[in-house]
Amino acid sequence: MKKPVYPFVAIVGQEDLKLSLVLNVVHPALGGVLILGEKGTAKSTAVRGLGRLLGEIEVYEHDPFNTAPGQPIPSQVARVPGQGEPRVVRRAVPLVDLPISATEDRVVGTLDLERALKSGESRIQPGLLAGAHRGILYVDEVNLLDDHVVDLLLDVAAMGVNTVEREGISFAHPSRFTLVGTMNPEEGELRPQLLDRFGLCVRVEGLRDPSLRVEVIRRRLAHESDAQAFAAGFAKEERELSERIVAAKERVASVGWSDAILLQIARTSLSAGVDGHRADLVMLQGARALAAWEGRTEVLEDDVERISRLALPHRMRRQPFAEMGT
Amino acid sequence: MTSGSERRAMPFPLAALVGQEDLRLCLLLAAVDPRLGGVLLRGEKGTAKSTAARGLSEIVGDGVPFVDLPLGATEDRVLGHLDLERAIADGEAAWRPGLLSRVDGGILYVDEVNLLDDHLVECLLDACESGVNRLEREGLSHAHPSRFTMIGTMNPEEGDLRPQMLDRFALSVRVAGEQEDGPRMEVMRRRLAYDSDPASFRGQWLDATRRLRERLTQAREILPSVVLGSSLQDFIAEVAVKNRVAGHRADLAMARASRALAAWEGRSQVDADDVVRVAPFALAHRIRPEEEPQVPPPPPPPPEEEPREDQQEPPPEPLEMPPEPPSPSPDPSGEEDGENAPGQEDPNRSEGTESVFASGEPFKVRPLEIPPDRLARSGSGRRTRSRSSTCRGRTVGSTLRRGRDDLAFDATLRAAAPHQRARRAASSSPLAILVEPRDVRERVRERKVSHLLLFVVDGSGSMGARKRMSETKAAILSLLLDAYQKRDRVGLVVFRGEGAETVVPPTPSVERAARLLETLPVGGRTPLGAGLVEAGKVLATARRRDPLLRPLVVLLTDGRANRAYGADCGEAPAAQGRSLARALAERNPQARFVVIDTEAQGRIRLGLAGRLAQEMGAQCLACEELRAEDLVRWTRNVMNSEERNIP
Repeated sequence: MKKPVYPFVAIVGQEDLKLSLVLNVVHPALGGVLILGEKGTAKSTAVRGLGRLLGEIEVYEHDPFNTAPGQPIPSQVARVPGQGEPRVVRRAVPLVDLPISATEDRVVGTLDLERALKSGESRIQPGLLAGAHRGILYVDEVNLLDDHVVDLLLDVAAMGVNTVEREGISFAHPSRFTLVGTMNPEEGELRPQLLDRFGLCVRVEGLRDPSLRVEVIRRRLAHESDAQAFAAGFAKEERELSERIVAAKERVASVGWSDAILLQIARTSLSAGVDGHRADLVMLQGARALAAWEGRTEVLEDDVERISRLALPHRMRRQPFAEMGT
Repeated sequence: MTSGSERRAMPFPLAALVGQEDLRLCLLLAAVDPRLGGVLLRGEKGTAKSTAARGLSEIVGDGVPFVDLPLGATEDRVLGHLDLERAIADGEAAWRPGLLSRVDGGILYVDEVNLLDDHLVECLLDACESGVNRLEREGLSHAHPSRFTMIGTMNPEEGDLRPQMLDRFALSVRVAGEQEDGPRMEVMRRRLAYDSDPASFRGQWLDATRRLRERLTQAREILPSVVLGSSLQDFIAEVAVKNRVAGHRADLAMARASRALAAWEGRSQVDADDVVRVAPFALAHRIRPEEEPQVPPPPPPPPEEEPREDQQEPPPEPLEMPPEPPSPSPDPSGEEDGENAPGQEDPNRSEGTESVFASGEPFKVRPLEIPPDRLARSGSGRRTRSRSSTCRGRTVGSTLRRGRDDLAFDATLRAAAPHQRARRAASSSPLAILVEPRDVRERVRERKVSHLLLFVVDGSGSMGARKRMSETKAAILSLLLDAYQKRDRVGLVVFRGEGAETVVPPTPSVERAARLLETLPVGGRTPLGAGLVEAGKVLATARRRDPLLRPLVVLLTDGRANRAYGADCGEAPAAQGRSLARALAERNPQARFVVIDTEAQGRIRLGLAGRLAQEMGAQCLACEELRAEDLVRWTRNVMNSEERNIP
């Protein structure tokens, strides 16, 4: 049974969290979000709620690899015998959960045993990385993931392709996803390489304002007593948010920037002492997404300033989380 | 940096890379002479390592295979295996080629090579060394040529490669991000242009790419006729000796790379500058990490090596890669200055205020030769990696041994395949494959039996705190430098003043530890209890990540305490320390504890540390003078011993 989803717009406060998730939907090139915080701070609620704002993509019917129509069709897309091209259908943008107990074969895919037994063919049984293509891969407590699964994720995130060379299977399919992870920093750190893969990073804390805390309780109880009615109360707001996201998505490709912006970004990175160039690229893309989100077609210095607070802290060399949230 | 839109079919053009001349040069040299050996790209994350390697794939030409080795690859697909479908359909024991067959004569690309499974690394090295892949499995006997150039990337923050593995790479390059505004801006411009429209971006660089390709073709033609004079051969040997490299691979790499460089620049004669330019690439990964390659002044060119006027062709124009002045150091941003006397002087030694001690004195670490453990273990026993007897870990192969219900599907089906004709004749099952119990194979999984070394150190104002800290720091760094422990984690908890702090969360990275250890405050009171509680937290977290973990806790204290943990509990701080110590040991039965007594010798001794050790069931070692070498030695002894307490 599916648990009813708490509406994204009904989350009280947590503006950074909501903004960074929305910006990633607007502009998937941002590379995902890492959400830091203790248990019970709306981390998972926000991600699940986001699922309903993602919109749809076009895919081939029955294609477990979410191939974009027009792209080469993997040889293993189910085809109806006697028919030509598979039908194109619309499907919700996938939000795939990667549980921390997942084994590597479930993540990357493995031999389809049933098919092998029945027909003697070696075919891939697609893993979670196939289903997450063009969508969101969500890892709750990402810092508790097995090291070798992290390695695989990094590999695929870097390539944008999942190359399976295992257990008699030789197969590759595109796998580009927005990585969303949550972690409680008190339960162990994340390897720097994986940290760097997350475009943005937000720290989520319990609200301090008592009246907001009361509002959290009130809404939570209302949701639990009648989820449908509760959701209906936010339907209009949610629809408006969806529309704004769609509009921003269309606008983002046309958002331009000046050399002054590039200079501002380069200097920001250099003075923060980050490794490599990923921070620069994330800041530029993030600033564009922010401009698009606010209905503009030109990046402002203020966009860079705002996005740098989400793009830099986890990339600083010394004690990544020490200065956050203060 | 590699982005999602980057695909093999449309890589970011190598010619469009901003800066990174060393990186580009090394890749091209390997392409000029495939016999050169591998190239290792080492550097921080988000520098063009993967992008460059991918870019090379379109320069090397159509006939040259470029094969990706994914980290999750299993042995069968790397080496080759029985073809299941043909075995079923035709009852034929046909061999299905693996990656080592596909890559013959080409380039094998391994992203994050330091994270690759050790077993696969061994397979690769065998093939790399012999040029042949020999296969004996599933009733098949097969051998095929497998000659390839290996290009690996790695971020040293994630742990280093073993020296034996490093040595197989002919050249290595340190890659770092651009440190100037201008190039950083250009990186953003080009990357975004590429991401938004790869095809048209590539179109703009088509000419440059074509010129690179043509120049490569010319260089390959010239290569066989390039002469390396005897005085330069002597010079190469001199460089190798001066840098005290083991074996002869560095010499060979310098010789081949300088020939390839001469060919790349359209000359048929190697000159001294060629050697000077390539030497740092051949040396950097073969000397100690804290050293810089030393290249002595080259010999004057002997008369017969004078460049001739009648060269067949004018050298190709320099393209985007103007020949650089020879740079003796591959890493101009490196902290160590070549001019520093080699006397192991610590540049930070005299810096800092009273409460901050500077870095410890570096000292040599000799890697320990521990053979990999081939026995199945369930997390106990000696350190090093083990075949895992639980159902977690990376699948590396399969076995006939049973008992874990961890079925290796592919191997089982392949084992059943040859018998299908006979079995089908005797059965009416509709299944395509009839599996019998004797076909069953189980997975062989390899997983790190991780070790956590946690130092819990008194950083209070007592005598010798600074020295204690600097020796501990040196010990931590050298333990992490030890290649055999690259996947073990080392952490540090310091207690001082009002409480305790995890200064280094358990990490396998010497770079990260070094960063965190840059400055360490000392002084203040001695909150022993807080230190023990903090250690308990670190252990609990680590165990949650890995239930099989075997932590070793090294407590450096004189057993004194003058600041109780938590609210006033009526207990004296030292007594409270003892009860917390006992609780810590009881709650972590999988951990081993050693107390190193730092009480000053000679005076009236209280023996408090000994009592603390007793509470924990730990051994207590007293030391005349704490030295990092001893810490390292003791720690290793304990980790290598089977017993909970060292005899």
